[in-house]
Amino acid sequence: MLEIRSARKMFYKGQADEKTALNDLSLRLETGDFGVVIGSNGAGKSSMLNAISGALVLDSGKVLINGDDVTAMPVHKRAMRLARVFQDPMKGTAASMTVAENMLLAELRAARRTLRRGLNPTRLAAYKERLSLLGLGLENRLDTRVELLSGGQRQSLSLIMAVGGSPELLLLDEHTAALDPRTADIVMQATIRAVEALKLTTLMVTHNMQHAVDFGNRVIMLDAGRVRLEIAGREKAAITVPDLIGHFSVKTDRMFLAS
Amino acid sequence: MDLLQNTVSSFIALVPVTLAQSLILAFVVLGIMIPFRMLSFPDLTSEGAFPLGGCVCGVLMAAGMSPLAAILIALLAGFVAGCCTAFIHLRFRIHTLLAGILMMTMLYSINLRIMGRSNLSVFGSTTIFDWVPFLQPGFPASKIVMAGAFGLLVFALLLHYFRTEKGTAVRAVGANPDMAEAQGINVWLATIGGVGLAGAFSAAGGALMVQSQGFADVNMGLGILINGLAALMIGEAIVGKSSVPRQLAAPFVGAIVYYQLVSFCLAAGMPPPDLKLATGLFVLAMLALPSLKRSRGPAAARETIRE
Ligand SMILES: Nc1ncnc2c1ncn2[C@@H]1O[C@H](COP(=O)(O)OP(=O)(O)O)[C@@H](O)[C@H]1O
Ligand SMILES: [Mg+2]
Repeated sequence: MLEIRSARKMFYKGQADEKTALNDLSLRLETGDFGVVIGSNGAGKSSMLNAISGALVLDSGKVLINGDDVTAMPVHKRAMRLARVFQDPMKGTAASMTVAENMLLAELRAARRTLRRGLNPTRLAAYKERLSLLGLGLENRLDTRVELLSGGQRQSLSLIMAVGGSPELLLLDEHTAALDPRTADIVMQATIRAVEALKLTTLMVTHNMQHAVDFGNRVIMLDAGRVRLEIAGREKAAITVPDLIGHFSVKTDRMFLAS
Repeated sequence: MDLLQNTVSSFIALVPVTLAQSLILAFVVLGIMIPFRMLSFPDLTSEGAFPLGGCVCGVLMAAGMSPLAAILIALLAGFVAGCCTAFIHLRFRIHTLLAGILMMTMLYSINLRIMGRSNLSVFGSTTIFDWVPFLQPGFPASKIVMAGAFGLLVFALLLHYFRTEKGTAVRAVGANPDMAEAQGINVWLATIGGVGLAGAFSAAGGALMVQSQGFADVNMGLGILINGLAALMIGEAIVGKSSVPRQLAAPFVGAIVYYQLVSFCLAAGMPPPDLKLATGLFVLAMLALPSLKRSRGPAAARETIRE
């Protein structure tokens, strides 16, 4: 379960170019919920995810994960409970390290790292198996440095790394936006499969209205740093793209440059 | 012909001495490589940590402490110095190079305070080189054996460490700090520990150097950084840096080759004062090479620190 209570964040406070990123934002996601977040550029979607992961320190407000207040917890401690995939494929992996080493780092995300050898045959076999599920041939490139992979391969790797170990919370920030349509599709399919199979509590930001319609059990629309609209349950199941677009234009008229 | 013969013969006569010296200075090169390559933290602390190790070791030996204990305490001092540089960078968001300059400048005064004067002879004190069995103390052979054994031990330990779960995490901090943090790695701890470790190696190099040359001097670090960098570049050009073993071997191989090269240049009649210019030009060339190879077009007006 995820709960955000009255989160506020302002950049350049008191200066001429003051920017409100989060404006009294509150949100609740039950365990097993798959929330899809939409909203125009600058609505505060990334800021919200950063506030959840700890990368953004709030001016005020609270973040709770499964009932525990994590507001004061640094990023690396919160990482024990949540995993992220970023929009930029470069951000989620260590480029100069191998595929297997990246998998190891992710596997140990919530664990105590020891002075034992990291990559052992058991682990390598397990990584091979998990990567083969993607069908991209990554299982045969365990010793390849990640910088030699394509953006799509890197993003797929990021996804496998994130869902491994079943995090309490999965955060996806437009994680297919930087990919070509075909690769984006592969990564999205893999995402949905993992989220459903592992019943992960997930928050996914997307610019793609079709994705918001097709996936998840809850749509959350942000605008100007707060939740403007939440559609869940039966209403969510029945919604169509024109409906969503209608909501968009009713609520605000300055959206949509991106979709 | 005669000149060539003279050059070669005086070079060859110096090979063992130079080898001993380079095995000691390999520790400094290691202390430069670890922040630079493993942590992406270009660091200048070694220029201060090297004499720090020397001064601490010198004072302790002069006070009659065992040479090994003196080295260990010097190592600890270097560790603290490295930790300080990393902390200054992390806490106050000061550029790593500037943090290193601050640290090495302050260390100059501290080194003077530690010794109470600018140089100190420890001639006649027992050194760890005297402990090598079967060899005559004071000769290059005993230094080569002792420093070489130390080097091998450190190489083996580091090789093991950087393949462990903890060591892999430290490397991730250098490869992508944001990603490392998101994977639950404490970036502060890894950076401070790693740069501290590097400071410890630089100081160990200083301590060994003092035991080898029989005196400590506050100015003994002058130019050590650029020499170390040149050695590292050579080492990486020879053994590469594409894997952990190669990256770890580069400082040792580089130090050995670089100091022989310097010795050859001197034997060939290069005036010693020109050495720093030559070394600087060499490092510049090595650093410039990739950008020259990459494109002939104009470079970006400003770029973040390359490599
Ligand atoms: N690091 C930052 N510095 C200054 N302003 C920022 C920063 N991050 C976000 N903002 C501002 O906060 C607002 C919300 O941004 P963001 O959360 O990135 O929106 P979204 O992801 O919905 O496009 C924007 O006005 C943006 O300019
Ligand atoms: Mg965004």
